[in-house]
Amino acid sequence: MKRLRSLLALSILAPIFAATATTARGEESFTQICEKVNPKLVKLFGAGGFRGLASYGSGAIVSPDGYILTVNSHILDTQDLRVHLSDGTPYHAKVVAIEPELDVALVKIGDNKNKVEDLPYFDVVEAAKRPPVEPGTGVLAFSNQFQIATRDEPMSIQRGVVASYSKLAGRIGIFEATYKGDVYVVDAITNNPGAGGGALTTRKGELLALIGKELRNELTNTWINYAIPVSARITVSQADGNPATVSILDILEKKEKYKALTPPKKNEGPGVYTGIILVADPVERTPPFIEDIVPGSPADNAKLQADDLIVYVDGILVGDIHAYNDVLSRYHPNQTVKLEIQRDRKLQTISLKLDKPKTKKAPDKK
Amino acid sequence: MRRSTSWHCSMGLLALFVALVPDRFVASSVARADDLDELQEKTIKTAVRKIAPCVVQIETQGGTELVATGPGRPGGPPGIRLGTGPTTGLIVHADGYVISSAFNFANKPQAIHVRVPGHKEAYVAEIVANDQTRMLTLLKLVGLSGKLPVPVAVPKSEMLIGQTSLAVGRTLIGQVEQMPSVSVGIVSALHRIWGKAIQTDAKVSPTNYGGPLVDLNGRVQGVLVPASPRTEGETAGFEWYDSGIGFAIPLEDVNRVLPRMLKGTAKEVVTLKRGLLGITMPQQQGQDEHSAPTKIASLAPGSAAEKRGLKVGDVIKEIDGKPIDNQAQLKQIMGPKYDSDTVVLKVQRDKEELKFELKLEGVVASYPQPFLGILPLRDDPEAGVEVRFVYPGSPADKGGVKAGDRLTKIGRAMPPAPVRMTPIANRDQLMDMLETAVPGLELSFEVKRAGGKKTETLKIKLGETPDTVPTKTELPEKSSAKKALTKPKGVGPKPPEPPKKDDKKEPKKAELGLLKRTTAAADHTYWIYVPENYDPNVAHAVLVWLHPPGKNKEKDIEKFCESWQLRYSCEDYHLILVCPKAESDLGGWTRSESEFVQEAVKAVTDTYTVDRRRIIAHGMDQGGEMAFSLGFRSRGLFRGVATTGAALTGNVRDKTNGQPLSFFLIVGDKDPLLDAVKESNGKLKEKKYPVIYREIKNMGRQYIDGRTGIDTLEEVARWIDSLDRM
Repeated sequence: MKRLRSLLALSILAPIFAATATTARGEESFTQICEKVNPKLVKLFGAGGFRGLASYGSGAIVSPDGYILTVNSHILDTQDLRVHLSDGTPYHAKVVAIEPELDVALVKIGDNKNKVEDLPYFDVVEAAKRPPVEPGTGVLAFSNQFQIATRDEPMSIQRGVVASYSKLAGRIGIFEATYKGDVYVVDAITNNPGAGGGALTTRKGELLALIGKELRNELTNTWINYAIPVSARITVSQADGNPATVSILDILEKKEKYKALTPPKKNEGPGVYTGIILVADPVERTPPFIEDIVPGSPADNAKLQADDLIVYVDGILVGDIHAYNDVLSRYHPNQTVKLEIQRDRKLQTISLKLDKPKTKKAPDKK
Repeated sequence: MRRSTSWHCSMGLLALFVALVPDRFVASSVARADDLDELQEKTIKTAVRKIAPCVVQIETQGGTELVATGPGRPGGPPGIRLGTGPTTGLIVHADGYVISSAFNFANKPQAIHVRVPGHKEAYVAEIVANDQTRMLTLLKLVGLSGKLPVPVAVPKSEMLIGQTSLAVGRTLIGQVEQMPSVSVGIVSALHRIWGKAIQTDAKVSPTNYGGPLVDLNGRVQGVLVPASPRTEGETAGFEWYDSGIGFAIPLEDVNRVLPRMLKGTAKEVVTLKRGLLGITMPQQQGQDEHSAPTKIASLAPGSAAEKRGLKVGDVIKEIDGKPIDNQAQLKQIMGPKYDSDTVVLKVQRDKEELKFELKLEGVVASYPQPFLGILPLRDDPEAGVEVRFVYPGSPADKGGVKAGDRLTKIGRAMPPAPVRMTPIANRDQLMDMLETAVPGLELSFEVKRAGGKKTETLKIKLGETPDTVPTKTELPEKSSAKKALTKPKGVGPKPPEPPKKDDKKEPKKAELGLLKRTTAAADHTYWIYVPENYDPNVAHAVLVWLHPPGKNKEKDIEKFCESWQLRYSCEDYHLILVCPKAESDLGGWTRSESEFVQEAVKAVTDTYTVDRRRIIAHGMDQGGEMAFSLGFRSRGLFRGVATTGAALTGNVRDKTNGQPLSFFLIVGDKDPLLDAVKESNGKLKEKKYPVIYREIKNMGRQYIDGRTGIDTLEEVARWIDSLDRM
C-alpha cells in the first residue's frame, strides 16, 4: 500500500534528520501529504478570459479512468475544455454531467481510442462516509488559484481551519449560487479566480469538500471562502411537485446517464392569504410592521394586531417586507406557520393557518 | 513570575515533543507530530466550546440600505451596504447585557433581537450605551436578568505578541446551539489604534465583528471590531476585513468602563466620549506628529486645560508619569482616555516645571467665532491694522470704527484693574488674538483716524461672526496695500505672512495663466490658474477645486477655470485656482489623495504670494465630500470649505481654537441631496461654525452654471475675499 511505502521510505531517511527539531518532523509529513494529494488534482482550462472571468479552474480526479469532479462554472461552457494532469500531460475533456442544485460538474478525460487508466484518485465513496469535521479543524486547500501553477507544477496550498459547517441557505438571498445545502466555510482565503473545484482536505490529505466559486455572501456583504462537502446531499422539490434527493455520489454512480434536477422556476408557488396588511414600504428595508388586519381573516383569528412587528417566520428572520413576502411565497394554503412577533418589547409566538389567496395577486401588499 | 496560561500550554506541547525526540521509531515519531497538531486542534475546539455560551447571535430589522463612509471608496455606491445576516455579540454581564461592535448597528436598525445559547426564545434587545472611542455598543436584553454566563478576561499584562488568538463569531451559524465559527491566528501586535486595540492575524470580518478574540484557555482577549488608525466611525477599517489585519478591544478595558455603560437605558443612552484636554498643537511645515513638539498653541475656552490654568506656550513633558517629547507619544497616551478620566501633566513653563491634575472632558464647548466687524487692508507693512471695511451694524460699527482707521493697540477691560494696552503688529497677530476670545468679551482699541491726526480709544464688545457676505457695492475695491514683499514694521510675536522670499536673487518671473503640473514623484497631475494681473506684492487667495467624479479631464478643468476667470474674475479678486486631478476616472476621490492635494497647494504657496488665511477647498458632489474631509483634517491649511451638492458624510469635528474654519454650502432645490445638505447645515451650525447656506431655485445635481447660480458664485468669490474678516 502506498501509505505504508511512504512511511517506510521515511524511516530510511529519518535518522539523518533525527536531531532536528519538531518543525522538521511536521514538515516532512506535510510534504508527503502534499506529494500524495497533488497527483489527484488537475488544472482545467476552458471558456472565459474576458470581463474579469478567469478561463482556468481546478478539479479533483475521482476515478482511475479519468472522471474529474469540479464546480459548475462558466469555464465548462466550451467545446474545447482541456485538462492538465499533475505531471503536465494535457488532455481534451468533455463534460459528463452538471447538477446546478449541487453546483458541481463531472468531466471526463480519455475515451476508447485514447484510454486513461490507473490515475491516482480520491475515493469519494469513502470520503462521503466520513462525518463532517467541526469548526477549528485544520484543513488544507489545494487549487490552481490565479493560475500560478502551470503544467507539471504542483497546486497552490493554503492552510487554515474550518470556520464553520452550516446551512447558510434557508435564509433569504444568501447566495447567488443555487446550492443550498451545508458548506464548509474556511478561514483561508480561497475566494480567488481558478480556485473553484480544488480540494479541501484534512491535514492528512483526506478529501472533505470541493472549493467553491467566487461568491459574495449577502449575510455579511463580504466575499466568502466556502467549499461544497463531498457528502453533499440535498432534497429539492421538482417542477412536478414531487421532491427529489440527489447527492454527489449519485452523479458519480450514474455518470453519463445522470439527469439534472428540474426544480420549478421561482415564484411559481400558489400564494397564500393571511389577512395581514403591512405598512407601506417606501424605502428598502422597511421592517414588516402590521398596519391593519382584515376582520375575520386568518390573522384576525390568530389575534394578530396592528403595530405588531413580524420578526421570525418559522424561525427565519424577516428583516424587511421584501424578505417577509419572499418567505411567505414558499408556503401553500392550509399550511400553518409559526410567527414570532414583537409586541410591547416582547416576542410572542403565534400560529397562523394560511388560506387560499383571495385574488390572483399576493394580498399582503396593499 | 506570572506568565500567560497559553504560554504554559505551548510550553507543555513543546515538552511533550522533546520527550519524543529520542524515540528510535521515527515512523511513530511522525505520527506523534500529527498528534501535536491534533492536540492543538483539540485545545482550540475546547477553548471555543468554553466561550460559546457567552457568544450570542444578533439579528436586526429595518435600517438604512447604505452606510455613508465619506471619501475613501474607489467607485461604487456612496457608502457600504451592510449584510442582512445575523451578527455577533458577547455577554458581559449576567443581567442580560451584551457588548458588540458599533459596526453591526451602523445602519440604525429599527428592531434588534438576540438569540442566547441555551435559551429557546429570542429576546428583544435595546441599545443602552455607545462607546464612541472604541466603537462598541452595549445591548440590554429585555426581561432577562441574573442568569447569563460571563466570560473571563485575559489581563492585558499577560498578553504577548505571538500568543494564539481565536476569532469567534455567530454570523455564519444557522442555529445558536451550534458551535460558533472560528478563525485561528496569533496576537500580532499590542497597543494599536492609539493604544486602544490588540491586533490579530486571525480573519476578522462582519462574520465575527462583536464576537470575542479568545485565547487557548477560552478566556477573552478582546472584542472584535473594525478599526483604523487614520479614520473614525463605525465602518472605519472595514476595508481590511479577512486580510489578516484585525483588531479587538481588550475585554479588560471594556470591563473597566462597564459600570458607566450599565447606567444607560433605551431612553437615556449613555455615550462614552474621548477624553479631551482642550488644547491644540499645530505642526509647522516639515513636521509630522513624530517630530512636532508638544507645545500648547491654543486652549479652548472652558476646556479642562484652560480651567486648570495651563497656558499657551507650556510644553507638556510628562503624562501620568510617562515622559513624552512629541505629539505622537501624546496621542498614544491620550488615545485610550475617556471623558471624566483624570490625568496628571507635567509641563515646562519658561524655566519652571509645573504639575497639573486634570479631569478630561468629552466635548470642548463650542463658542461662535468672535467678531469685531471689520475687514483689514492686506499686504500692509505698517504697524497696526488699517480698516478696509466696517460691517454695517457690527460691534465695530456700533463702537465707532470707520473705514480707513488704523487699529494700533488692543487692551482687555478687566475692572477694577486698569486696561493694559498692547500694540497691534499686523493683521495676522490681531486675527490670532481675537480667535482665542469669545463673543461678549469687551475690548479697548486705540484707533488712529484716517489722515493720521487724531487718536482715540474705543470700547467694543465682540459679537458673533455673521452668515452674511458684504455686497458687491459695499466691498471696497482696494483690498491690498500691495506691499506684501516689504519687510513689516510692526513687531509681533509671530513672523508675518506671507513667508519672505529671498530678496537678493533676481525673482524669476512667475508663470501665469492655466498651467499643468505634476507632483514631485510624478504620480499625480494638477492644474493651476494664475490671473494675468498677478502681482507678487499682493497676497492671493487660493481656491482648490475638487471636481465631481469623472470630471477629471483637461477639458473639464479648462471649462471650470474659464468660468471662474471670466465670470467671477480671478483678476478682480486676486484668486489663484488649484485643480488637482483624482486618479479614478469614475469613482472620484479617495482619502489617500488628500496628501497629494496638500502637496499641490504647498507647491503654489511656495511659488506665488499667497494669503494663508484665505485658502479654501471647493468641491461638488463627491468632490464636495472630499472638501469637507480636507477642511476638517488639514485645518492648518484650509480656512474655508465651499461645496455644491454635497452633504457631510461623518460626524462634524469640533472647532479648533486658533484654526478657524468657515463653510459655504450651495444646493439646488431639485437636488435629491437637498435634505441631507440642509441637515449638514444644521450640524455645522450646532458646532458653531460660521456657515452660509444657499439654495438655488430650479437647479438639480449640476455645477452652478451661468444662468441659475451666477450671483451665488459671485458671492462665493466675495466670501473668499472676506475670509480674513475679524
